[in-house]
Amino acid sequence: MTASKLLRHETILAVLTIIALAVLASLSDKFFTAENLLNQGRLMSEVGLVALAMTFVIVTGGIDLSVGSILGLTAILLGVFWKNLGLPLPLAIAGALACGTFAGWVNGFIITRFSVPPLIATLATLALYRGLAEGISEARSVRGYPEWFYVFGQGEILGVPFQLWILGIATVVSAVILGLTPFGRATYAIGANETAARFSGIRVHATKLWIYTAAGFVSALAAVIFVSRVTTTRSDMGTGLELDVITGVVLGGTSIFGGRGTIIGTVLGLILIQALKNGLALSGVKGDGTIVVIGLVLIGAILIGAMFDKNRGG
Amino acid sequence: MNSKDVERADGATHAHALPIALRGVSKSFAGIKVVTQVSFDIRPGEVHALMGENGAGKSTMIKIMAGLHQADEGEILINGQPVRFASPRDAHAAGIATVHQELLLFPELTVAENIFLGQTPKTGLGTIDWQAMRARARELLDSLDSGDLDIDQKVASLSVGNRQRIEIARALAQDARVLIMDEPTAALAEADVQRLMAIVRSLRARGVAIVYVSHRMPEIFALADRVTVLRDGHHVATKNVSEVDEPQLVSMMVGRAIDRLYPAKQGVDGEVILELRDVSYRGVIRGISLKLKRGEILGLAGLVGSGRTETALTVFGITPATSGQIVIDGKPEHISSPEAARDLGIAYVPEDRGQQGLIRSQTIEDNIALANLKRLMRGFMVDAAKVTAEARKAIERFGIRARGPQQLVRQLSGGNQQKVVLGKWLATNPRILIMDEPTRGIDVGAKAEIHQLMRKLAGEGMAILMISSELPEVLGMSDRVLVMNSGRIVGEFDRQAATAEAVGTAMTRSYSREDAA
Ligand SMILES: Nc1ncnc2c1ncn2[C@@H]1O[C@H](COP(=O)(O)OP(=O)(O)OP(=O)(O)O)[C@@H](O)[C@H]1O
Ligand SMILES: [Mg+2]
Repeated sequence: MTASKLLRHETILAVLTIIALAVLASLSDKFFTAENLLNQGRLMSEVGLVALAMTFVIVTGGIDLSVGSILGLTAILLGVFWKNLGLPLPLAIAGALACGTFAGWVNGFIITRFSVPPLIATLATLALYRGLAEGISEARSVRGYPEWFYVFGQGEILGVPFQLWILGIATVVSAVILGLTPFGRATYAIGANETAARFSGIRVHATKLWIYTAAGFVSALAAVIFVSRVTTTRSDMGTGLELDVITGVVLGGTSIFGGRGTIIGTVLGLILIQALKNGLALSGVKGDGTIVVIGLVLIGAILIGAMFDKNRGG
Repeated sequence: MNSKDVERADGATHAHALPIALRGVSKSFAGIKVVTQVSFDIRPGEVHALMGENGAGKSTMIKIMAGLHQADEGEILINGQPVRFASPRDAHAAGIATVHQELLLFPELTVAENIFLGQTPKTGLGTIDWQAMRARARELLDSLDSGDLDIDQKVASLSVGNRQRIEIARALAQDARVLIMDEPTAALAEADVQRLMAIVRSLRARGVAIVYVSHRMPEIFALADRVTVLRDGHHVATKNVSEVDEPQLVSMMVGRAIDRLYPAKQGVDGEVILELRDVSYRGVIRGISLKLKRGEILGLAGLVGSGRTETALTVFGITPATSGQIVIDGKPEHISSPEAARDLGIAYVPEDRGQQGLIRSQTIEDNIALANLKRLMRGFMVDAAKVTAEARKAIERFGIRARGPQQLVRQLSGGNQQKVVLGKWLATNPRILIMDEPTRGIDVGAKAEIHQLMRKLAGEGMAILMISSELPEVLGMSDRVLVMNSGRIVGEFDRQAATAEAVGTAMTRSYSREDAA
């Protein structure tokens, strides 16, 4: 697949995003202001981080439904480690990140070791991790974090939200890994034809294990940012996150059947969704209307993608 | 075997009685013409061979007749009536059934479901009539002498030969008047080829018109009534098979005479590089012991299911040995994955190129790079320039007919896909090369070239283990032949002792009683 072919979907998406931005800007003068755009960037960071890892997952032909639950679970653990166990906050953060990473590893282990389809495996852990979160929190929320902690979710560096820097760095790193390294090649190969990948000496299981583990890690990272942004910890945090994430990835042109997709596409998909949500809200469209529009855009993108597939012949 | 079962008078048949006639058909892909102004017709009750080099346009012609591609120019006549097939469904409806070169089965469905996909028998209520479907499937497979196939099994677990039979059953289920077969025997062992040819003959006797593509000359002379030769997408000639001989046919195909003798051995055998000591994998292969020397081509003969491929898979780490020892260069090694095998200098060219050998949705260069990533790096990244250069080398070395390294593999002709698999593995610079049906689907010219190449590699010290279902190839290429039967090695022949009779007998004898003892 040459770069130009791969990027065709992304090109269309970029054009679509620009049109959407232009239209939304004309609908409301509050939309196209630096302040609003940066704030939107802040809001999409958690979904964005998880979507980066989800792109890898879906490119292998898998899916991870448990990311929202991992976010909820690690958010709770962060609070419990700090408040109930009395750990210093940095240690509590590290502990929460470790637990999220482990939760992702468990997903990968179940999927590779017992050949459970990812949909089933992560549907199970979606319930499991959320259940754990609720059990541990006992419906109490944790508040009163020290002031410095809020930098992750509310701080700024050079006028740009802190978490947007993290998202930016993570985007570059994952784009390089997926696009330019042997690991990325392995990821595509597994999604396109797992048997042939294995017969070529690709470490299929190890690759998948890394990817699901990474998904766990970024979900935990998103949890820390989330807690810092909303200043409180609750067990229902991240509910439904997986749907936003998957929507962004698929809108970005990643094939749900695996073997195809790019980080640039995912980022564009996320921007488009966030812009629509915000822009439509500012122009007075009700929440339900926004969801309908996003649904229509998604269907449109998939149809365009399918059309290109046909044109490629063979 | 040069006589035909049915001798028929050669006379012009009236156009309205021709099941299919093609008039000036042309087809381009992305502006490149692959079929130019081809005209020929197929008569009822004939086997019409379609021949040509890899990439000559045979499969493309077939896909046009099957409704998968649409011709850019020219027309197709069915019983004298011009038709336009917009989809395979239209071709089905016109009584044309096709067994394609790349098998199109659904691995997760059962044998019966695959046979009747898109043509399921219905009950009065419009639901699937499972009973009728299973009974018909059973019947069809029995008529193909394949009573041993379990119709409720998932296709994923079947061998290539068995999948081939399902494809044929699928075509037969349509009760077609025209049956098109694109290299149906490429994946079959000798005994299965005979079976298939018997089926084709009986269909011909029923008046079915058969289009038959094969690179195996003996089949053409044993089976075909007429032959149409394509070269570079052009129609060279259509002749009665009785009017041509093999050298003529070959020179029509390639435009020159080629040397088809098996290359002679050069150099001497070196030390033993691969040794299997009493290796078993579950019950599939049992107590396999063998030695492979540098510079040697060791042939592994046997019927489909005799354990040849399974032995290769065990050496290559796909199904790691459950007992016994694999020794490489005198060192016992535990080969637990293909990665480990590759890093030990073992390459395996698998039998099923579509599933195991290639990622068909990716480019030539991506495929070649996949087994060679460690070598094609700059820093921690894959070096795109090196990848392209490596692919260019392979394209040149094997004469792969492609637009360039960035062409998608699925757009290549079958034989050229096979060459990509060879290119991918030879690029790893292996010390031990295992080839499972290496020349499957490769045209006569390229086959001779690959044989020369194998000899050259062996001459340079590579150790080659070759699995082939073509007995002449095994006998012609091997320095030594091992025969497998029911998961065991049952005979060893050196070059002199390896005759068709001796090897053939060892392959087919029933050893089950000794096993029981
Ligand atoms: N979808 C496609 N897009 C681009 N080129 C194609 C496509 N399909 C076939 N071709 C090209 O058309 C040419 C003829 O291919 P075809 O498959 O008809 O060859 P063939 O005679 O069947 O060869 P083989 O003996 O190897 O099976 C090849 O050069 C191939 O690369
Ligand atoms: Mg072909």
